[in-house]
Amino acid sequence: MAIFILPAGLLVCTLLIAPMLMMARISLNHYDAMSLMVEALTAENYLRAVADPYYQRVLATTLGVAVGCTLVTVLLAFPAAYWLARMESKWKSAVTILTMFPLLVGNVVRSAGWIALLGNEGLVNAALQGVGLSDHSIQLLYTPGAVIVGIVGVVLPYMVLTLSAVIEGIPRQAEEAAANLGARPLTVFRRVILPLATPGVVAGSVLVFILCMNAYATPVLLGGPQFQMMAPAVYDQFSRVSNWPFGASLAFILLAVTILMTVVGSSILGRKLRA
Amino acid sequence: MIEMTRRGLIGAAAASTLLPRLAFADDPQMVVGTWGGDYGDLLRETVDNAIMKPMGIQVLQDISGPVPRRTKLLAECQNRRGSMDVACLADFDMYAATRQNALEPVTEKIVPRLSKVLPFLKKTHSVPQIYSAHTIVYNTERVPTPPKSIHDLWDPKYRGKIGLSDFLFTTNTAFAAIAGGGSMSDFGPAKKKLMEWRSLDVKVLASTEAVAAALKSEDIWITIIAAARGYMWKQSGIPLGHVVADEGAFPTVYEVAVPKNARNKENALKYVNAMLEPSAQKAFAAKMGYVPTVSDAPLDPALDKQVNFTEAEQARFWTPDFGYLANNQAEMLDFWNKDFKG
Repeated sequence: MAIFILPAGLLVCTLLIAPMLMMARISLNHYDAMSLMVEALTAENYLRAVADPYYQRVLATTLGVAVGCTLVTVLLAFPAAYWLARMESKWKSAVTILTMFPLLVGNVVRSAGWIALLGNEGLVNAALQGVGLSDHSIQLLYTPGAVIVGIVGVVLPYMVLTLSAVIEGIPRQAEEAAANLGARPLTVFRRVILPLATPGVVAGSVLVFILCMNAYATPVLLGGPQFQMMAPAVYDQFSRVSNWPFGASLAFILLAVTILMTVVGSSILGRKLRA
Repeated sequence: MIEMTRRGLIGAAAASTLLPRLAFADDPQMVVGTWGGDYGDLLRETVDNAIMKPMGIQVLQDISGPVPRRTKLLAECQNRRGSMDVACLADFDMYAATRQNALEPVTEKIVPRLSKVLPFLKKTHSVPQIYSAHTIVYNTERVPTPPKSIHDLWDPKYRGKIGLSDFLFTTNTAFAAIAGGGSMSDFGPAKKKLMEWRSLDVKVLASTEAVAAALKSEDIWITIIAAARGYMWKQSGIPLGHVVADEGAFPTVYEVAVPKNARNKENALKYVNAMLEPSAQKAFAAKMGYVPTVSDAPLDPALDKQVNFTEAEQARFWTPDFGYLANNQAEMLDFWNKDFKG
C-alpha cells in the first residue's frame, strides 16, 4: 500500500522539501550587495528580523489580518454552509458549483474588480455621491478594511465547502430531538450543531488562516504601498534588493509562526467549541 | 511489425529529446534575455525579424522580469555555459554583472556601431541601447507654470498632489538627497527631505501603472518618472509635460551585454550591433519615448522635441554612483519602508 503514496511523496520531496532545504541554507548566508550572498553559517538574518520593530509590526499586522479574516469568514460562512448542507433541492449541485465560482477567478483579477469598486472614482464612491450621502470621495481603497474584504472574498468558498461537508454529516434527527425536548433554535445551534460541527470549524479555520497568513496579491493591490504584510515583505527582499538570505529568513519566520499559531489555535478552538 | 522492448522505448524517448538540437544544428540560434510587452515586441519586430532573420540567425526571447534575469546572470557566471547569449538590463543591474566579471568586454572592433554611441553613455562591458531620464513630470493644466527646481517638489502649494512610485524608491531618494544638499555618493540628507515629503502628504503609489491612473484622475499633479513614460502617457491623452530641473535629473539607461559564458558569442555580438541600427533605435523612440543612444538616428523634429534632451539638459544629468547605490540600496529600502512609508 505504501507504493500508493510514492508519486505524491516524490512530488512533494522534489518540489517542496528540496527547495525549502535550499532556502533554509540560504537563510544562514551573509548578504553582500555585489555578489548577492557570501556562504556562511550565521543567524544574523533571523536575529535582525526578530529584533527589528518594523518586522515585528509587519508580523503583528499579518497575524491581525489573518485572525480577523478567519473570524469574519467563520461568521459569514456558517449560515451559508448550514443552508447548503440542508438543501434538498435539485439545484444543490449548481449552488455548490456557484460557491466555488470565485475560485475560478485569479487573485489579481479579483483584486482589479475590488479596485474598480472601491477606488476614489469607483462604483461605491460614485453611488455614495450619487445618492447624496457624501460630497467627496471617501478613501476605501488602500485601507486595512479593503484588504480584509478582499481576502475574505478569496477564502470564503474554502470555509463554506469545508463546513457544509461536516454539517451534512450531522444527523438532522439530533437537531429535531433537541427541539422536541424544548430547546430553542439558538440553543440547538449552540448545544448541538456547533459542537458537532467543531471538526469542520477547526479544519476550515486552519485552512483559511494559513491562506490569510500567506496572502500576497490582495494586500499589495488593495492595501497599497503603506500596508505591509509578511509575504510582500519577503518578496521585497528578493525582488528589490536581492537580499536572498534575509528574504529566506523572513519566509521561515512566517512559516514557523503560521505552524505554531495553527497548532495552538486549532487545539484551543477545538477544546472551546466542544466544551 | 516492429517490436520494441521497454528498454528500447526509453532509449528512443531519451534520444528524441536531442532531436530538436540535431534538427536545427545548422540553424544558428541565439537566446536573448529580455523584457516582454512593448519592449519585447519591438525587439522582435525591429531586430529579430528585420535584421537577424535575413542573416539566417534565429532569435529566441527568454522573457522575464529584470530581477530574475539579473539573478540568473550572476548565478550562472561561474558556469562554463550560460543560458543567455544577450542580456538586456537597466544600467544599475548591468553594473552589478560587470563587477562580478560576468560580461564580455565590448569594443568598436567587435561591435562596430559602438563608434556611433553618444560618448557620455559609453561603458566597457555593456552597450547602451536606449535612454531617458527620471524628471519632474507634471499635469500641464493643473500646473500651468512648469516647476523649475527640484525644491518645487516640496512647495506646500502641492500638498497632497505629489505622487511617487513605490517601485522607484531609489530615484525618489536620489531627488530627496540632492534637494537636501547631498550628492550621488551621499544620500544621507535624503532622510530629512523624505520625512518633509511625508508631512506634505505625498502619495506613494504601488506601481507605475498606479501613477498613470492617479495622474489621469488628477489625484496627483506631479510625479518623478522617466520622461519617456510621460511621453507614452501623454500619447494616451493625459495632459503632461516634463522638465529637467535646474539641479538636474536621474538618467536611466537600458543596456545590453554578452555574458562571458554565452554559447553563441559571434551571433550575440551581431545582435548587439543590430540593436544600435538607426531603424531599431528610432522605433523605440516612436513607440516608447526612449531616446536613441547613437548619433546617427535623428528623430522626427516633433518627436525629438517631446522625448529628447538638449545638450544643456544632458549636461545637468547626474552621474549615478552605482557602487554607492549597490552598497546602500538595502538600507535605502529600509528607510523608505520603515520611516517614510511606515
